[in-house]
Amino acid sequence: MNRDIENTEVSTNVSFFMALPAFVWLLIFLYIPLLVIIGLSFIRKGVISAWPDFTLSNYFTFFDSLYYSILVRSLLLAFVTMAVCLLCAYPIAYFLALYARRWKNMLLFLLALPFGVNFVILAYAWFFILEKNGLINSILTTLGIISTPIQLLNTEFAIYVGMIYCYLPFMVLPIYAVLEKLDLRLIDASLDLGATRFATFWRIILPQSMPGIQTGFFMVFIPSFGEYVIPALMGGGKYMYVGSLISHYFSVLRNLPLGSAFTVFSSIVLLIVSLIFYWRFRRAT
Amino acid sequence: MRNIRLEHVSKAFGDDIILDNLSLTIPSGSFFALLGPSGSGKTTLLRLIAGFDTVDSGQIYIGDRNITHVPINKRNINTVFQQYALFPHMNVFGNVAYGLRVKGVASDIIEQKVRRTLQKVHLERHIYKPIQQLSGGQQQRVALARAIINEPDVLLLDEPLAALDLKLREQMLVELIDLQSELKTTFVYVTHDQFEALTVADYMAIMNYDGEIEQVGTPKEIYEFPISSFVAKFVGSTNLFHGLLIEKNGGFAMDIPELGIFEVAVSERRKFEAGSSLLMSLRPEKIEINKEEQAGFANHLTGIVQAIIYYGRSTQYSVKLPNGFIVHVFEQNEEHFPHEVIDYDDVVHLYWQKENVVLLEK
Repeated sequence: MNRDIENTEVSTNVSFFMALPAFVWLLIFLYIPLLVIIGLSFIRKGVISAWPDFTLSNYFTFFDSLYYSILVRSLLLAFVTMAVCLLCAYPIAYFLALYARRWKNMLLFLLALPFGVNFVILAYAWFFILEKNGLINSILTTLGIISTPIQLLNTEFAIYVGMIYCYLPFMVLPIYAVLEKLDLRLIDASLDLGATRFATFWRIILPQSMPGIQTGFFMVFIPSFGEYVIPALMGGGKYMYVGSLISHYFSVLRNLPLGSAFTVFSSIVLLIVSLIFYWRFRRAT
Repeated sequence: MRNIRLEHVSKAFGDDIILDNLSLTIPSGSFFALLGPSGSGKTTLLRLIAGFDTVDSGQIYIGDRNITHVPINKRNINTVFQQYALFPHMNVFGNVAYGLRVKGVASDIIEQKVRRTLQKVHLERHIYKPIQQLSGGQQQRVALARAIINEPDVLLLDEPLAALDLKLREQMLVELIDLQSELKTTFVYVTHDQFEALTVADYMAIMNYDGEIEQVGTPKEIYEFPISSFVAKFVGSTNLFHGLLIEKNGGFAMDIPELGIFEVAVSERRKFEAGSSLLMSLRPEKIEINKEEQAGFANHLTGIVQAIIYYGRSTQYSVKLPNGFIVHVFEQNEEHFPHEVIDYDDVVHLYWQKENVVLLEK
């Protein structure tokens, strides 16, 4: 008993030192910049003197329907991406975990393979599919469904396609991880007790996979909200999302305080929405 | 009567033939033990009855109903799994109520039945506890309650006590016997543990390594009149001697090379002809061991004590015979201070009655 306690103490010490580099890394490259951003958001533009001029006026800028429409559009993008990813990922993960057997590792590798490639290159692959004379348009015209090619590239449709494509593995992998560990005898037990296959899925398999769904939810929802590259490439820069606006403030307008303020503001919105979902998950499990 | 009948059942996984043309009748309302070594196919047999797997050929009946191709959730059979397979995201109530819930039973009836069933397994105080907070024995009871609440025709138990410690196992065995006699449901109990099987069963079937059923009978029949050397060795322990059956003084005797001639009783059950080459099975506890010579026994051997294992309630002696053969003898430790202490290298006399010998084909 005593030895157990000693061992625990040793391992706590060891794990502290093992976590230290990561913590220092996060401190320097995440927490400190975050504090700088928060600080900047309260400064009046152009007045960076010895004692900066603090103001809340940056935040008052956002009492404008323009900003809300951008927030709502980003939330919608994040939510739809998450939802479609979930609907596509669950069957994939289910198949991989329960039926793929010896093909499992091969298929997982194939799933992850495209993401070893830079997204800019992947986006160009999508250009070939989506452009005026691209794959989809030529198939549709050959089949006689449309007479003239439709505009697919540089639309919101293209943005959604890119988002879903890009974030799918982040949903598949956590769900796969839980389903892989699912005790198959629970399915046997459920059927044995007279449940149908559907009831077994609904009452046993789905609740058991909730931790994976929850992880996948946040791994897709949170980064989707601030996504900048995919809307820029697939939408041709025509559509403003939170990420694009922040980038616009910092690199085009060079308005650091306003950009910082919008970053803080949109992060708070994301935090609140995520917490609401988190509580929903807590209640569901 | 709703007997379970398996007729010419075969099952293979790939090239691996598990069961080949097996037939078995399990009497309705009995506590039936399926005893066999690991890998004998007894779990496969259980899974076929439950419906987890389907037979390659053959038929399975419950009473007159052919259930061979009835899907698992339409058979009125429930299983208690080896590692219980309780639903971890539900509490005790949720687990026990599951079978009724999926059948759409009204919630007030479910509540009543769950309470009544939990009383039967002495868990009524833990009704709303999460599964993770229960001990192994309590989880075992939840698994039982979850199965019996559905009032199945047959309850299958797949090594249900394997994960419990010895004391708890003995206690659960007694509770299982009580539960079965209260419910009158047919229990089919799969185990590799002969002690469990002998304790609980009204009838038992012994399976060998080839997935064949060697013998079916009451525990006493199986133990006292094993039909083959496999059964004699697998259920309990025994000493086996090769020899020739001869006639002697109007009775029978076994001529065992290098040891002598020993009187045997040929039972009414198995008629053997004089002149056949047989095995003589002699259970260790049927042998009397003594340092002094004694009268009144039909058969006698002498040997030298090679090993003594003290088990508490009994002691096992390994006695080396003149031909080098080792015979095991159990003796009850009934006296607090045995007047005669048998020690290593002592010369001892072994005695047994001719009725206590079982003859087996090779």
